[in-house]
Amino acid sequence: MKNPSKPTQVQQPQLPEGLGFSRESFKTFGVIALLVLAFIYWPQVVAFMINLLIYIYSLVGHNFGLALILFTVLIRILTWPLTAQQIKGQKAMQEFQNDKEWIAIQKKYAKEKEKQNMEMMRLYRERGINPFGSCLPLLIQFPILFALFPAISYAIGSGPLSILNLSRNLYEFQNAAALVPLNSKFLWMDLGLPEQTNLFGLVNIPLLAIIVAVTTYMQSKLLTPPSANPNDQSAAVNRQMTIMMPLMLFFFSINYASGLSIYFIAGNVLSIVQYAMMGKVNWRNLLPGGGKK
Amino acid sequence: MRKKILIVGLFLLAAVLLSGCVGATAWPGLSASGDAAYLANTTAVHAVNLKTGEEMWKFTASGGFLGSNPSLFVTNPVLTEDGSLIVLDSGNKRVMYALDLNKMDVEEKRPVIRWEFSDAEGHWIAAPLILGNRLFAPNADGNLYVLNLQDGKKAEEPIRLSGKENQTDRLWAQPVTDGERLFVTSLDHRIFAISLETYEVLWSQQLDAAIPGAPVLGADGMLYVGSFAKKLEQFDPVSGEHKSVLDTNDWVWGTPIVDGDNLYFGDVQGYFYSYNTKEARLNWEPVKLDGAIAASPLILGDRLLVATELGDVYAVDRNGAAEVWYHPDKEGKAYTTPVLAGEYVLAAYLESDYYLVILNTEGIVQRTFPQ
Repeated sequence: MKNPSKPTQVQQPQLPEGLGFSRESFKTFGVIALLVLAFIYWPQVVAFMINLLIYIYSLVGHNFGLALILFTVLIRILTWPLTAQQIKGQKAMQEFQNDKEWIAIQKKYAKEKEKQNMEMMRLYRERGINPFGSCLPLLIQFPILFALFPAISYAIGSGPLSILNLSRNLYEFQNAAALVPLNSKFLWMDLGLPEQTNLFGLVNIPLLAIIVAVTTYMQSKLLTPPSANPNDQSAAVNRQMTIMMPLMLFFFSINYASGLSIYFIAGNVLSIVQYAMMGKVNWRNLLPGGGKK
Repeated sequence: MRKKILIVGLFLLAAVLLSGCVGATAWPGLSASGDAAYLANTTAVHAVNLKTGEEMWKFTASGGFLGSNPSLFVTNPVLTEDGSLIVLDSGNKRVMYALDLNKMDVEEKRPVIRWEFSDAEGHWIAAPLILGNRLFAPNADGNLYVLNLQDGKKAEEPIRLSGKENQTDRLWAQPVTDGERLFVTSLDHRIFAISLETYEVLWSQQLDAAIPGAPVLGADGMLYVGSFAKKLEQFDPVSGEHKSVLDTNDWVWGTPIVDGDNLYFGDVQGYFYSYNTKEARLNWEPVKLDGAIAASPLILGDRLLVATELGDVYAVDRNGAAEVWYHPDKEGKAYTTPVLAGEYVLAAYLESDYYLVILNTEGIVQRTFPQ
């Protein structure tokens, strides 16, 4: 009989030696296989997303805005383990960028890129870092993210073709005839149209698009760890993305159905909450000059 | 620094272009007069010469920063007796335009805009109905707008159609009239009868499902319309009394067409029906065609032309015998009702190299647009 107080050693499955495959290689193949499957069964993936969204809609009293928010929450919960792994990988890479030995190697072999790469791979091995550690979980999430877009677009159904496509994707139990068209009103918005808010009866402003831009900017600033390495190229890219992503989503939001803006905002807020719960949010980054170490 | 500016610039340009990419949410609208076809095809309305297949002019109203606010023309353009063409932009600006076909704007190379109407808050999916000097335009914001045809100004306060308070019905179909009343269907499961004298709602009926198409008055004086409840519905135009007269295999989208005592229509599974209103029965078992039918049929001599989603146009005779009348050599989807224009039959296509195919009455291609 096992002693419950004594922790048992969990045996990690060992791959047979000599095959030339590491655990990481298998993980990578697994992710690629999943992506290929998602690609082959793409219509089914989208249909599943649509049905999940519509099912939530029917549960929450035919409120599409609320359904969108809950749908986003659910997707975040389901992909939480992947996000956690992604954060872990990002952190390892970030720490590596600030590693004194790596900084020294970069200086030493500044003009010998091949040698620098070899040294980098050596350091990865020594420190047990998988350079794709943050990338693979993100790749698995891609099909989900890409499927969300058509799912929301079909569900909003702002035109005859959207409704026809929606009807074809609904499962038998959904009672499509009774559900269609979905109630697209949420707060002051029609989720099938771009949002414009009249300010004091004077001017129309794209309030939702502004909130999308602000929350995207906040998310980027809060979740980006500071870098002490002046040669850290990923930090430079991050800085540019912090500006460009909010602008890109702003332009997108002013022209597209506001239902998608609701999804962007909910996603941004949930990311911040999720990272905050894991203690990864850097609130100082919101202050001027706060991102510098 | 220059590199940074370039990257940011390219990113912004990509964002603007991406935001301008509005995928098709509806199929083209089509009408014709004389030697011209008018095709409302996503971002523009094209006038096409039927004799040559060449574009006579193109109307677009795209605007916004770097053209990021594209137009969306999907409703059938409507010709008026005084030579105007009513086109509706269902894009973000949601403007109705009256184009004066008798006056060309030389600089813009398109007809002069006679007036525009921009009060609607929802999409324009249906074509307006013109009665005398009044224009009745249903909008997805739940209003039936009543405008003066001459200047596009409101002739009456919009008629708000809704089954519930604080809720608007999406109006997606052209109104129909019996001379005394207007009949308007809504996507929100309702049909309304409105007095043409007082503009008051005389009656309304709630159904189990959406009614995307316009109703039609049968030879028996009753009103018929298909619905997403997979039924053919019948209404008494005076009292509004309702009954479902036929179960269909799937959703009925297009407006049935009247031919004597018979109604012809299709469903989105591709079944084509012939219903005798006098005897309240099907004339023959529904014919299964190769793709969904969202369009209304077109009567051509002793046959009916039916466009299907897979792009084929079928000819169905009065006995229910069907054959492919036109099979396109390029992929494309046909949701739009074919139009008869003198000696030509016009078919509009979505997701095809050709927006418009001009056929003779034997189903032989005469011209395509673009050529």
